[in-house]
Amino acid sequence: MNYKGRTILASAMIAVVFAGLGVRLAFLHLKPSEGTLSRIERGRHMEEETCGPRGRILDRSGNILAVDIAARHLCVDPKFILENGDIQQVCEAVTKVVPLSRSEVWKLLDQPERQYVRINRYMREKTLEPLMAMKLKGVIFEETSMRNYPKGALGAHVIGFSNREGVGSAGAEQRMNSYLQGTTGLRISQKDGRRHEIYSLRTVDIEPQPGADVYLTIDQQVQHYAEKALDEMVSKYQPKGAWAIVQRVDTGEILAMASWPTFNPNRYNDPRLPAEWLRNRTISYGYEPGSVMKAMIIASAIDGGYVTPRDVFDCENGRWMYGGRALHDSHGQGLLSVADILKMSSNIGAAKIALQMGNEKVYQSLRSFGFGARTGVDLPGEEGGILWPVKNWSKISITRLSMGHEINVTALQMLSALSAIANNGIRMRPYLIQKVVGTDGETIFESLPSELGRPIRSETSKTMRRLLARVTQPGGTGTKAAVRGYSVAGKTGTAQKVRPKAEGGGYYNHKYLASFAGFLPVENPAISIIVVADDPQGVHYGGTVCGPAFQRIADQTVRYLRISPQGFPTEYVSDIE
Amino acid sequence: MKKKQKKKSRKAEVRIPFPNVLAMVLVCVAASGLSYVWLCAQCNTLGDEIKRLESVRQKASQQMVTEQSRWENMQAPANFARALKQHGLAMTLPGERQIVRVRRRSGSQALTLAYNKQGVNKADEL
Repeated sequence: MNYKGRTILASAMIAVVFAGLGVRLAFLHLKPSEGTLSRIERGRHMEEETCGPRGRILDRSGNILAVDIAARHLCVDPKFILENGDIQQVCEAVTKVVPLSRSEVWKLLDQPERQYVRINRYMREKTLEPLMAMKLKGVIFEETSMRNYPKGALGAHVIGFSNREGVGSAGAEQRMNSYLQGTTGLRISQKDGRRHEIYSLRTVDIEPQPGADVYLTIDQQVQHYAEKALDEMVSKYQPKGAWAIVQRVDTGEILAMASWPTFNPNRYNDPRLPAEWLRNRTISYGYEPGSVMKAMIIASAIDGGYVTPRDVFDCENGRWMYGGRALHDSHGQGLLSVADILKMSSNIGAAKIALQMGNEKVYQSLRSFGFGARTGVDLPGEEGGILWPVKNWSKISITRLSMGHEINVTALQMLSALSAIANNGIRMRPYLIQKVVGTDGETIFESLPSELGRPIRSETSKTMRRLLARVTQPGGTGTKAAVRGYSVAGKTGTAQKVRPKAEGGGYYNHKYLASFAGFLPVENPAISIIVVADDPQGVHYGGTVCGPAFQRIADQTVRYLRISPQGFPTEYVSDIE
Repeated sequence: MKKKQKKKSRKAEVRIPFPNVLAMVLVCVAASGLSYVWLCAQCNTLGDEIKRLESVRQKASQQMVTEQSRWENMQAPANFARALKQHGLAMTLPGERQIVRVRRRSGSQALTLAYNKQGVNKADEL
């Protein structure tokens, strides 16, 4: 074939190839088949569902207690790194930012058949910054978000935590999950050959909305006082557990709720963290309260007209036989007035007062103070305690109930009952959620103070406030709870711990539960506080173990909240000349 | 004869040569095409700009939240107390005797001393 022929043949072949491509192009553009069309569409289609961030949790002053922050998953493409990158360099750089040894990182990288390996999840951008700056080939930083608790362990049991999937799993995070969860956004669009979105072809764009903000009644400063006081008590008496609550008497708002041992919600999934530490003992630990119960029994007796503060009872010099069983006082006393029975915490005196009331009245009184039922606080996992009906009582039950045995209560129930005595006899519902505010600033939900009942009259409340104030005065059992410059009312409690049936039942001889519950100022109570210690070592009296912790919390709280010794709130005045 | 000549001359006046018409049409088509391409390019540029700004906004809001979180962490009472201690600052709340409380009586602008010992001592009375 000559030159001309070869040229014609080559041109013809090129023309045929181009004609073929042209025909194919025409078919693709003008009348593509269903299969081809759907394949193209699938390749270009982009549909992204994004979850809005979880709402924040704030304290009553607007301090952030929980918030969603940006994070990254550190991933690698081992196949790509082995073929195109420098595995040594990647290994060195990654080891510097992850909590893994060099050999562990190498093992993850040395997988030539894999194209996606996650090295570490939920890492802060700040930590990854040096690695990101290196722009290493085959290292991927996947965008995500994580829950962050900027105050660390502060108020951990109240705030709770949300899991990696963004679902509240404890505390306020769990209870308010439906409000806190953000809405899912949707973006439908098309992408180009480089897998970048073509903005002009975006057809649906629904922005994800963040969840609502939840404001708690907790005050971070008061919470800190409570936790610090517990820490000091724990280091001195080494109890197995300790807990405290601070409540506003007139509204029922919880200002602080601390439980020890505690945890850092940022590391809730640490395998070394004992499950028991996650427990909010203030609402889930039922215990026999001991002598604190005498306040409720005597209040009911005075309210029902069974006794007056000046009535005198024989306290049998500290040992009294009733129903075939002996009842003891820690300090033997002879004749004591009702006021002194409370001040010196006489078991025999309280038992005799309860006997004057009778089983039914004692039972009804305790029910009206809220024992044996949940308070309805807005936290999950609240226990209702145990108050057996009268038909289950033995002959001596009434004498034991009057000194806080044969009954199981939570610290919150006890504080709620004491607050009722302080609050002119009105029992308020304790609550922790102040309000929920939407993204547009509109209040979606607001808690208002609500009355649960009136176990005693206003006059009885006034009398009881004065009787309880004597407990912290010289000669009383709670002198260590006295606050300089303020009048404090309260009651100590020391109860032997119940021995589980598996261990033979009854009570432990040398294991106690110490507590102190009180309020201040006496004439116009503003706050009430309870402190409980489980099995303190060395000393076991409520006044000695918990009294100082109560004093520290009360002393700092009244001054921080600017509560005057007379009880009314004061404010800073700047315009006095 | 005259009529025929007139018709011919009129036709000769309005007729535009075919290549010119074709050139004009092609120019118009090309101009429209170029305009379309230019507009498309502009739209894409704007789209890219919007996407870039979207990403900047998202990054800024993420950074704001992160910084807010760090600030809150610094303000945590325990960290605050630690920082004070670190700088050798000892701060205590004033004692009750160091506080002068004043009260504005209802219906009056005058401020009066609010402190009295009643609240402290009333508990003694029984």
